[in-house]
Amino acid sequence: MKSFSITAALAGAIAISGATAAHAWQPTKPVEFVVTSGAGGGTDNFARMIQSIISKHKLIDQPIVVVNKGGGSGAEGYIHGKAGKGDAHRVVFGTNNAYLLPYVAKLGYKVSDLTPVAALALDEFLLWVKGDAPYADAKSYIEAIKAKPMGFKMGGSQSKDTDQTLTMMIQEATGAKMIYVPFQGGSAAAVQLAGGHIDSNVNNPNENIGQWKAGQVKPLCVFSPVRLAKGEPVFEGKGWGDIPTCKEAGLPIETFQMPRTVWLPAEVPADAVAFYEGVLEKVSKTPEWQEFVTRTAQTARFMKGKELADFVARDDAANKKVFQAEGWVVN
Amino acid sequence: MITRFWAETATALVTLAFGLVVVWGALEFGIGWDSSGPQPGAFPFYTGALVALASVGTLVVTFAQRRRGAPIVGEIFLDRERAGRVIAFFAPLVGFVLITAFAGMYVATIAYLFYAMRFQGGYGWLVSVASALGAALVFYLVFERFFQIGLLKGPVERLIGL
Amino acid sequence: MDNIASLMHGFSVVLTTHHIMLMMAGVLLGILVGVLPGLGAPNGVSLMLPLTFTMDPVSAIILLTSLYWGALFGGSTTSILFNIPGEPSSVATTFDGHPMAKQGRATEALSFAFLSAGIGALAGVILITLLSGWVAKFALRFSSPEYFAVYFMTFASFIGLGGASPFKAVVAMGVGFALASVGMDSVSGNIRLTYEFDILLGGISFLIAVIGLFGIGELLLTMEEGLRFEGVAAKVRVRDVLRTAAKLPRYWVALLRSSAIGIWMGITPGGPTAASFMSYAMAKRSSRNPEKFGKGEPEGVIAPETADHAAGSAAMLPMLALGIPGSATAAVMMGGLMIWGLNPGPMLFIERPDFVWGLIASMYLGNVVAVVVVLATVPLFASILRIPFSIVAPLIVMICFIGAYTVASKEFDIWVALAFGIVGYIFKKLDYPIAPLILAMVIGDKAEDAFRQSMIFSQGSLSIFWSNPLVSTLMGIGLALLLLPLIGSAVRTLRGRTVTVAAKG
Repeated sequence: MKSFSITAALAGAIAISGATAAHAWQPTKPVEFVVTSGAGGGTDNFARMIQSIISKHKLIDQPIVVVNKGGGSGAEGYIHGKAGKGDAHRVVFGTNNAYLLPYVAKLGYKVSDLTPVAALALDEFLLWVKGDAPYADAKSYIEAIKAKPMGFKMGGSQSKDTDQTLTMMIQEATGAKMIYVPFQGGSAAAVQLAGGHIDSNVNNPNENIGQWKAGQVKPLCVFSPVRLAKGEPVFEGKGWGDIPTCKEAGLPIETFQMPRTVWLPAEVPADAVAFYEGVLEKVSKTPEWQEFVTRTAQTARFMKGKELADFVARDDAANKKVFQAEGWVVN
Repeated sequence: MITRFWAETATALVTLAFGLVVVWGALEFGIGWDSSGPQPGAFPFYTGALVALASVGTLVVTFAQRRRGAPIVGEIFLDRERAGRVIAFFAPLVGFVLITAFAGMYVATIAYLFYAMRFQGGYGWLVSVASALGAALVFYLVFERFFQIGLLKGPVERLIGL
Repeated sequence: MDNIASLMHGFSVVLTTHHIMLMMAGVLLGILVGVLPGLGAPNGVSLMLPLTFTMDPVSAIILLTSLYWGALFGGSTTSILFNIPGEPSSVATTFDGHPMAKQGRATEALSFAFLSAGIGALAGVILITLLSGWVAKFALRFSSPEYFAVYFMTFASFIGLGGASPFKAVVAMGVGFALASVGMDSVSGNIRLTYEFDILLGGISFLIAVIGLFGIGELLLTMEEGLRFEGVAAKVRVRDVLRTAAKLPRYWVALLRSSAIGIWMGITPGGPTAASFMSYAMAKRSSRNPEKFGKGEPEGVIAPETADHAAGSAAMLPMLALGIPGSATAAVMMGGLMIWGLNPGPMLFIERPDFVWGLIASMYLGNVVAVVVVLATVPLFASILRIPFSIVAPLIVMICFIGAYTVASKEFDIWVALAFGIVGYIFKKLDYPIAPLILAMVIGDKAEDAFRQSMIFSQGSLSIFWSNPLVSTLMGIGLALLLLPLIGSAVRTLRGRTVTVAAKG
């Protein structure tokens, strides 16, 4: 991976030079925040939260205009970012689909058309079953699926996206086979599970918390290397921190997390990247941000430069493996 | 002068072409029915085919009406005078969209409103210019300032720092 | 009853000067947003969202829901006056509302629209108050087959309406379906019908189509006729508003039926747009003079407006209790709830009664405030029609294009709106029905998704649509709605009356 280490070194260099020249670049006109999801989606909340923190603490002098471009699972927003080549007044908010989408669909952009700036949080995935389901842990649920191949239904958000990828990883890791039903979004998958129309989902904490509080669904394990932060109890005295990791629970998947990422178009000045890194790092340290992350049970993790590049490379490789095995890669 | 017969035929041919284009686009994916129900292309394929078939239906009906000499197909669809009025109104719209594409929405707004008021409405120069500028200013305040939605900007808007 | 006590508690939370002021502000802003086509309620709500982060949740939701009511009313206003629906759910209001305005009955049309909307909303809120527990459980029984059955019912109620050539009706609906499937297919993850043009990735918004077909298309027709608006001959007086109000009780059947349809579609949740279309269709079917519809029949305004608002308010219940947003606006509000630290779900009613019942109480008050505010401004809006057409026409043009652009900030959309303008003009002149096209664009892809999800559930077996009493009933009603007019026309044909093109085809 020689070429990769070079990019990583470059990214590191950018980060270092940025630290010394943080005030070299300032926006000179209104900044456009491009949201790669529709209004009300997870990415939309992420971007609008950052917007409100920036304006509250006056971290950017220019006004910020948020535009939603969620078409094609967010591809529309990234292509809009590509079109702003060289213009550092266009900031794109997304997830790991920034670098995963071009694998599974023929799109008019490549990852190289965007400049990575930072990631601010990792959204977690959990394995959920219906609240009154007879499974006490992940292991017994997996055994039940194995006993009845294609007899269980896993619901998730969209197709060839994170939820289905994770479902395929579970099948790969355990040999259990089930039916994947794609819905419009995580909230639909949550309600379908509560209503007993599907047997499980792999929703983010935020998408299922309402149903968990009511005891309609229950978490079996979290696809994270370590347990989640403790937090308040949610249902029957149990909170996020009490959920075992899937590895502990006997489901051999080390980690599956979705980074909340921020990008600029290609060929922007290095000190502009440094400027946004600085702003976002300040955002990540505000109490409002900490509160937002805790409430939505995401894992706060600020990454930039080499750390971000390393994370992206690992995440990219893990997902690509699934895409290739499933025959989803189009180009 | 265009009779209804020609208008019906031309429209049906266009919708026929539309249907076929949809069918062609759908063929990129499977159009069959597998264990998980219809494949991604099936729905657009049959929709396109249905549009194409119904367009042929309209063509057949239209030609049959003409052979029978039904009065409806001989009706006037558009004569010179009416066409003139429609084009006089529509051409500036195309102009507005073209100017928007190249010079931005504010320039286009001012140009279009001025043209419409001065030459279509017959208002005086001063009133027309003032109304056009005033409308652009109102749009600017309502959209950019209050709702924080940027309208399409071109080189001129950038020049004055919008 | 517990619920009544909770509601009284809610009123005690909401009835403060601060909250009433917020309601007024919300309604006025909403009207502005609704009158500007393309801006619409979802946009308006998401733009106000950052302002609410510093408010307490009750104030915040009052502001946003009031804005929503205002936007719904504002949307009806432009539907009636200019034939441009400001909101998708007010498309059906244009069918009779605009003809009424053209006949110089703008005040009457607007008053009917606002009053029946208010009644519809009230019906929806009363239902929420009484049935909050039961409805939440009922909605949980809905899965993809049931959703498909609801969409199927909506389509079925619309087929066989109107006297257009069946070929043309098929073309119009098919074009709508095809346009709805452009872009990302969420069931397969494929990108369809974009022909490798990136600009088509996001699909073609039906709002753009509506702006072109109705707004620009209508202007072209008016221009061709060389007509000006007749102007409102009679003076607009408060008395006219009152006189219209006095006529309203005559339409009690329509009001009841439309409220029922709206509430049903709001909970199930088919959404306000489907509700308004279906209610219009049912009103026309059950009318003794169906031929009057489309030419300025007051019932054609009352039916869709009542159902639209009944569904809009009833849809708040699935949003709060289940986290199912019944409309785009509800989706944005749900995003807001989460940012304020509230999690929609069954427990919200138990954990945050202040919030939930405050919201429900504010829906009563907010709608009353909204009706008063809009009625007070009817004369103002109706007088817009007295402005010379040479000024109004270019203004409508500007509003259409700016509206088309602001939907998604895409230059391409302006061209699409222009193209739809030509389509609307030609289709209207050649008697192609436009309503099925819009209906197909709005719920076509949802219906397709629901159908294919059902097929994944059943591994390709159609029997899933008869697998439980609920879905069987829904499908049965849908089939009945679909077949009755066909049987009716077959019977007529056999009797040798009206041998039409339709029978031949």
